[in-house]
Amino acid sequence: MNDDYSSKWGYRLKWLYTLLVVTTLMLPVFFVMYISFNENGFGARDYDFTFEWYGLIFSDLLMMEAITSTLNLSAITVIFVVPMGLITAKLYKITQYPLAVISLMLSPLFVPSDILGAALLVFFKNLNGAFTLFGEWVGVSWFDTWFDLGYFSAIVGLIIYTLPYVFVVILITMGRYRKEQTEAARSCGATAWQAFWHVEFPQIKTGVFSSCAFTLILCFNEYTRTSLLKGGFDTFTTVLVSQMLNEGMSEQSYAMSSLVSYIAIAIIGSVIIFTLVRSERLERIARAKAEPLMAS
Amino acid sequence: MSEKNEIAVEVKGLSKSYGPVQAVKSIDLQIGMGEYFALLGPSGGGKTTLLRLIGGFIRPTEGQVFLHNQEVSHLPPNARPTSMVFQSFALFPHMTVEQNVGYGLRLKKVASDEIKDKVANMLKTVGLDGYGERMPHELSGGQQQRVQLARSFVLETDILLLDEPLAALDANLRRDMCIELKRLQEKIGMTFIHVTHNQEEAMTVADNMAIIADGSLVEMGKSSDLYENPIRRFTADFIGENNIFDGQVSKIEDDVIHVDLGSSSIAVLSRGQKTSVGDKVSISVRSELARAIDTSTSSTEPLETLSGIHRESVYLGLTTSELITLDNGQEVLARQISDRYGGHTIANGTSINVGWRQQDGRLHIS
Ligand SMILES: Nc1ncnc2c1ncn2[C@@H]1O[C@H](COP(=O)(O)OP(=O)(O)OP(=O)(O)O)[C@@H](O)[C@H]1O
Ligand SMILES: [Mg+2]
Repeated sequence: MNDDYSSKWGYRLKWLYTLLVVTTLMLPVFFVMYISFNENGFGARDYDFTFEWYGLIFSDLLMMEAITSTLNLSAITVIFVVPMGLITAKLYKITQYPLAVISLMLSPLFVPSDILGAALLVFFKNLNGAFTLFGEWVGVSWFDTWFDLGYFSAIVGLIIYTLPYVFVVILITMGRYRKEQTEAARSCGATAWQAFWHVEFPQIKTGVFSSCAFTLILCFNEYTRTSLLKGGFDTFTTVLVSQMLNEGMSEQSYAMSSLVSYIAIAIIGSVIIFTLVRSERLERIARAKAEPLMAS
Repeated sequence: MSEKNEIAVEVKGLSKSYGPVQAVKSIDLQIGMGEYFALLGPSGGGKTTLLRLIGGFIRPTEGQVFLHNQEVSHLPPNARPTSMVFQSFALFPHMTVEQNVGYGLRLKKVASDEIKDKVANMLKTVGLDGYGERMPHELSGGQQQRVQLARSFVLETDILLLDEPLAALDANLRRDMCIELKRLQEKIGMTFIHVTHNQEEAMTVADNMAIIADGSLVEMGKSSDLYENPIRRFTADFIGENNIFDGQVSKIEDDVIHVDLGSSSIAVLSRGQKTSVGDKVSISVRSELARAIDTSTSSTEPLETLSGIHRESVYLGLTTSELITLDNGQEVLARQISDRYGGHTIANGTSINVGWRQQDGRLHIS
């Protein structure tokens, strides 16, 4: 979209700038990856390539449990938060008060993570106390553990954290969709559910899947809320950080950090590649079909 | 068309309110089977709301909708024998033309060979043979509307609702599509209800039409009747190019009513309407039936005349409009077929009469 008079150098400088920023941001990550393959560990003069440290992660039971529980946390959060975001985005499209919806939905973004985490911690502790008292009063112990710190409280924290992102990502993909399309489907005989599934969902599914990936990564990388609300240090990042604090950076820590980055890059990368390849392919097909008709 | 069992759509006391706004106010309406019916009226009048009430996209606040003599007020759109064509944006953008048209049939679990045949036939009918593989965004506006039509036709529901289906098209295409719509409707024999605020469009397509304004039904009837013989003043004002004079009944002689317009008096036929002396009434005269007459020439037949001053002649090609300002300041249009060579032109500013035959004036009591 450059016009002929704009300077070639302006264009090149913008590229240079972008690459520079990305490199600066990613360099430490790549450096950690680089170290994680060194047999001799951090600061060593010699570099001998090895998978040893990665192997150690997988043989480290504590670590494997941490990965499992983090994946569980992330997956459960995705299962809850994506439909929630979808429903709110749909509300946004039909409400007379879109500003109210958007302000409410984005408000968690303005609360610093430690404050939100701490507030929820206090909230759950008190709730737990209240319910335990109530249980004593009624004479059953059934309520005692409802609001103990654990998966439930951590997932609530993660949902509050990720919901704004899911909402925004889905909302963006809803741009092309018009409610007349649903009405047209209804008038073709579709039920409300069929109209959603056949007409609306295919148009917003990129947003839905992207927000799944996004949520997974956010949850996987989250430290503050999870450590405050999960109770016990048994998720990927909490284990990683506690190991670093207690034992200093071990070679294994580098491998673990790298592993997180690989997973994130792999997920984001495949989403991007999938989207790009798909849209390009669709365009090619469309052009091929249009051409003979244009000519005739 | 008036037999009870041939009524396709009937609406009884239908109302819809949005809070304090009454979009539709207690409308009664009957539309015969196989009829091409137009809902015409000014913007914001409630046409879309009425159409959507019939289609089941909106729930009525009061009143009932009957389709083929069956109450359907409680049914959602997919359970009614109607289908809808929207103004725009209503094609499924992720499906090809073929898939769009076949969507309703697929929902009905029609066999896929049969769907293919029906869709191909329908695309031929609407003049889109060979476009089946395209995506909606690869079509022009007129073609997209034809896909919408095909998508509705193929379902063989018997009532088709069209909400300003041609509004997004340019004037030429709109005229062509009007004629095409009419042709398709006659061929397929469905009942069409066509919403528009364009009277030319409504006149082109409709057998019968209803004027809807301010949430109410103003007048309903054959298109030609509404044009030539409107009962309500509003109809005369809205359809065609009419001169309207407001005054008071001063004298009644059988079916000739004399109306005092302030400076002069005009006689008009009552057309069966009951009035009494002193009533506020209006008279309308179509501009093509009003004539500008030189004060010097005496006319050969008796005319109702008003005197004024000639303002200007506006040449419109086929016709020329004479703009005349009456003594009371009201402007009047007299239009006739342009006659560039034979006719004499009237100089601007000369005194002139505007006149019409008594039977060309129409009395409106409301
Ligand atoms: N969802 C709504 N909420 C509130 N008021 C509404 C709503 N839909 C329509 N109205 C009001 O109802 C009235 C009739 O609207 P409607 O859309 O039926 O008019 P219309 O005759 O179709 O006009 P147009 O020719 O401009 O399409 C208008 O005053 C409109 O503002
Ligand atoms: Mg409308």
